[in-house]
Amino acid sequence: MIRAEGLYKAFGRVVAVKDVTFEAENGQITGLLGPNGAGKSTSMRMLYGLVKPDRGFASIDGVKVQDDLVGARRSLGVLPDALGLYPRLTARENIRYFGKLHRMRGAALETRIDALLDLLDMHAIAERRTDGFSQGERMKVAIARAMVHDPRNVLLDEPTNGLDVMSTRAMRELIRRLKDDGRCVVFSSHVMQEVSALCDRIVVIADGRVVAAGSEAELLATAQRETLEDAFVALTGSTEGLV
Amino acid sequence: MLHVLLAIVHKELLDGVRDRRAVLSAFSFPLFAPLLIAFMLNSLATRTDDPLELAILGGENAPELVRFLENQGVELQDAPEDPQLAIEDGVLDVVLVIPEDYGEDFREGRPASVQMMVDNSQHTALSGITTVRTLLRAYSGHIGALRLLARGVDPALMSPITIDELDQSNPQKKAANLLDMIIMFVVLGAFVCSMYIAIEAAAGERERKSLEPLLINPVSRTILVVGKWLAAVAFGFVGVVFTLIVMMLAIGAIPLETLGFRIMLTAEVGFWIFLIAAPLAPLAGALQLLIASFTRSFKEAQLYISLSLTLPMMPGMIMSLKPIKTEAWMYAVPLLSQQVLGAKLLRGEDIALLNYVLAAGSTLALTAVFLWATVWLFSRERMLFGKG
Repeated sequence: MIRAEGLYKAFGRVVAVKDVTFEAENGQITGLLGPNGAGKSTSMRMLYGLVKPDRGFASIDGVKVQDDLVGARRSLGVLPDALGLYPRLTARENIRYFGKLHRMRGAALETRIDALLDLLDMHAIAERRTDGFSQGERMKVAIARAMVHDPRNVLLDEPTNGLDVMSTRAMRELIRRLKDDGRCVVFSSHVMQEVSALCDRIVVIADGRVVAAGSEAELLATAQRETLEDAFVALTGSTEGLV
Repeated sequence: MLHVLLAIVHKELLDGVRDRRAVLSAFSFPLFAPLLIAFMLNSLATRTDDPLELAILGGENAPELVRFLENQGVELQDAPEDPQLAIEDGVLDVVLVIPEDYGEDFREGRPASVQMMVDNSQHTALSGITTVRTLLRAYSGHIGALRLLARGVDPALMSPITIDELDQSNPQKKAANLLDMIIMFVVLGAFVCSMYIAIEAAAGERERKSLEPLLINPVSRTILVVGKWLAAVAFGFVGVVFTLIVMMLAIGAIPLETLGFRIMLTAEVGFWIFLIAAPLAPLAGALQLLIASFTRSFKEAQLYISLSLTLPMMPGMIMSLKPIKTEAWMYAVPLLSQQVLGAKLLRGEDIALLNYVLAAGSTLALTAVFLWATVWLFSRERMLFGKG
């Protein structure tokens, strides 16, 4: 379970996040929907502890990120916006490195890596150096290394950004499977259709604040509109920066 | 904890060994630097015992002068067809031209003129030119004195002042100054070899956008920085050892006995040089990792770190140009202390244990400061964005 409580963050005089509060349940997909620059990435970074909130807190399975960063991260898998791999290491070596950083090793680690290679259908590229991988192949390696420690909670920052159609379909498939495993999945997106297709709960963020939260049906009812797009306009006043 | 640290070191080493550019640039230096020193020593060793060669044109016009020069140990040879070209090309240092009317002028008691064809811009020719000029002046003075004597005048009247030049330099000293460069190159070996690993480990991570995923792992920044640093230090050690071995092989092949002394680059001396230079590998790794942590890109890190390579070169350069007097405080200054210790060692002087401990201790203390600063940089939110 992931919880954000009154998150506030300013960089110098720019206030990136003003008030973000929400809860993401296990076995559910929670989508953070908002235009570019609304504060989604900064909120995500506060959830996985790379940015310290000025006010408020984030917790993973009840462990406050600010109090026990290492402990909170053990049950958290993150696919950040930046997906850089090590080009001189093979796909397997890239995944293995992150596994070892999670204190896994030996046969247990190799078994887990093989399971991930199965799940993501990437045995063919496992022993190749990642230099020259396609965007889809890079994404698979990045997912595998984020999931190597089998985390109960998963954060994905704009996971379909820059992916082609096939990779996007595969990514949605994966997100559904994570949910079916009973994990808590939070992903951010500025693509309304994607959020609508995947999410059990939608958290609408605009200008650094949560302006509405609930299932798609609840949001439509609150805004008294027929489509998510119309609802979004009614809730935030514009669709600028959304797709 | 230890396993995590080892995993980081292992990954950085694997990455570094597979980086062809890093490996090539790291190991071309240890190969070429010692060869450069060997070349300089070799030219010093072979030049000193060469007799002066002098090409002469019109020697038949001045048989007495020719005999005088030969008696002084000058090897005379006939000038080539085009002496001017030979001088310009540096084939010959000096060509002595004796005109046809030399004999007549000489007999009549008029100043007889001879010409020295030289190229003063040729650095290597200067000592030959000076020698020939001195010999000709000596001959001129000698003849002048004989003429005065023949007329009953004391030749001493012509020399109100006599100059005795007491040259304190000798080939041994010049070679000894080159010794200062040996230790400098060994030290530089550490800095050059750890450079790319350090850049990759910090600025490279950021440029590749792998820094954020890496920092999300449940690993403390201290462990992360120490792991990356250890990998750079490992490369630095390899650089020191490799440079030292190539240096010993190259210098062993030079006939230094002709200089009247030997550089004792025995295995034992080599081991001591390693002990002196070794603490600089941790320093080099820490300094470079620090620089690579606050620079924004790979290129920027490369620029600053290349500039920082002048630091280990400075003490050696200065000492090889102008010997300095060793003072106690110098042992507490990293880089300078290693240079001073190395110079003492290679000149066969004793090294006080206290001075060695002081040198190694101050170097490792500075290393700790750099590491601490790097951890601090890694712990800041701004590390992700690469600003300041």
